[in-house]
Amino acid sequence: MKIASPSDVVAARQQARALATQAGFSICDSTIITTAISEMTRNILEYASHGEVIISLLKNGTKCGVKIVASDRGPGIANIAQVMQDGYSSGQGMGIGLPGTKRLMDEFEIRSKIGNGTTVTMKKWRNGQ
Amino acid sequence: MIDRGQVSPVNGSPRVNNHTVLEQVDERYQVALLEYLAARDEVALLGGYDLGRTALADGRGVLEMVTIHSRALATALNRPLNDGEKARLLDAQTAFFVEVLSPFEMTHRAFRDANTMLRRLNDMLEGQAKRIAYALHSEAGQLLASVHMALAAAGREVPPENVPHLGQVRALLIEIEDRLRNLSHELRPPVLEDLGLAAALELLAEGVSRRFGLPVSVSVSLKGDLPASIENTVYQITQEALANAAKHAEASRVEVDVRQIDGRIVCSVRDDGVGFDNTAGFRKRRPGLGLTEIRERVAALGGVVRLTLNGDRGTDLTIEIPMEV
Repeated sequence: MKIASPSDVVAARQQARALATQAGFSICDSTIITTAISEMTRNILEYASHGEVIISLLKNGTKCGVKIVASDRGPGIANIAQVMQDGYSSGQGMGIGLPGTKRLMDEFEIRSKIGNGTTVTMKKWRNGQ
Repeated sequence: MIDRGQVSPVNGSPRVNNHTVLEQVDERYQVALLEYLAARDEVALLGGYDLGRTALADGRGVLEMVTIHSRALATALNRPLNDGEKARLLDAQTAFFVEVLSPFEMTHRAFRDANTMLRRLNDMLEGQAKRIAYALHSEAGQLLASVHMALAAAGREVPPENVPHLGQVRALLIEIEDRLRNLSHELRPPVLEDLGLAAALELLAEGVSRRFGLPVSVSVSLKGDLPASIENTVYQITQEALANAAKHAEASRVEVDVRQIDGRIVCSVRDDGVGFDNTAGFRKRRPGLGLTEIRERVAALGGVVRLTLNGDRGTDLTIEIPMEV
């Protein structure tokens, strides 16, 4: 799913919420998943102007969850450890987006290469793990 | 953001230029909530999320958001609605409110993580203090004992006129030993290490009873070992409270009670004396703890201190420390 405008954000949130409901997440956890979408797409629009989000259902034995991959071909992040720190922000934000989203999700991985863009992969399992 | 035309607030009050910030927030919230209640779609939910994210950035608190939401909800309900519509509205507003508060969940979890990290750091420092206390008490103590022996041996060989010099050296050595003992005690009372908290408190009570003729009863009810940081704090604060009761309160008896209640350690030291004011009693003296230090030490462990001065019916110092954050 392409992310280039606020209406794409709405569509991504809608899809994430639908999948979360399908996977049996509660209203709180579904909201947390859409919050993660908002935070990641917000970064995409602010730093890379456009990018992509892929949302899928996860099934692993009895475990059930949602996987989100948010990627862009923007400028990339020079120091990942730094942006994962609470309170660090290079833009207008408060520096809660990346570390905050990591805390909302069960699994969170960020890869970035200068000049090559950034990819965030995260998972949320129903009933945590 | 997503624009789909202006929705007016229900009360239809005309916009005035001197709106306070809160009125503006209230109005924006009201508009967004009504929009959601009318549309029940993702666009309106994103509006809620944006409101919450902005409020978080503006430093608003969760309680403030609750009151803002309640006011907006009251306005939304202040319309001619039948029971079915009211029930559906009340049901739907939850999703919106959860959306608004969702950004706060990020900072809430950050504080929780920071707390856990602080506690871990505290335990690590406590472990270090334990090792340093042991090194001061035991290793340095043994070395100084050998110096005493060497000094005694040297004393037998120096000419008599030099013996007073050795006496001075011995006096200095003794002073060093005293200081090291105090320092090690401040870091971690060795008796805690050797006997554990309950027996250490009994011993402390016996000492006060003997020295001041003040009966002290100790009751300890714990479900297992406590973290060293909590043991230390409970012991040292009890020690300080007992010293104050003995020296300033003209008490005839003191009760020390330490127990585990759910996930908390509650330690209270009660006496039946005339009490004292903060300045006379927990005055900052060396090497004791002042009330400020007591509060600081307990706060560092996430706990609280209550000092109840009952005039001539005694004083009660109670500290409560959570076992886990």
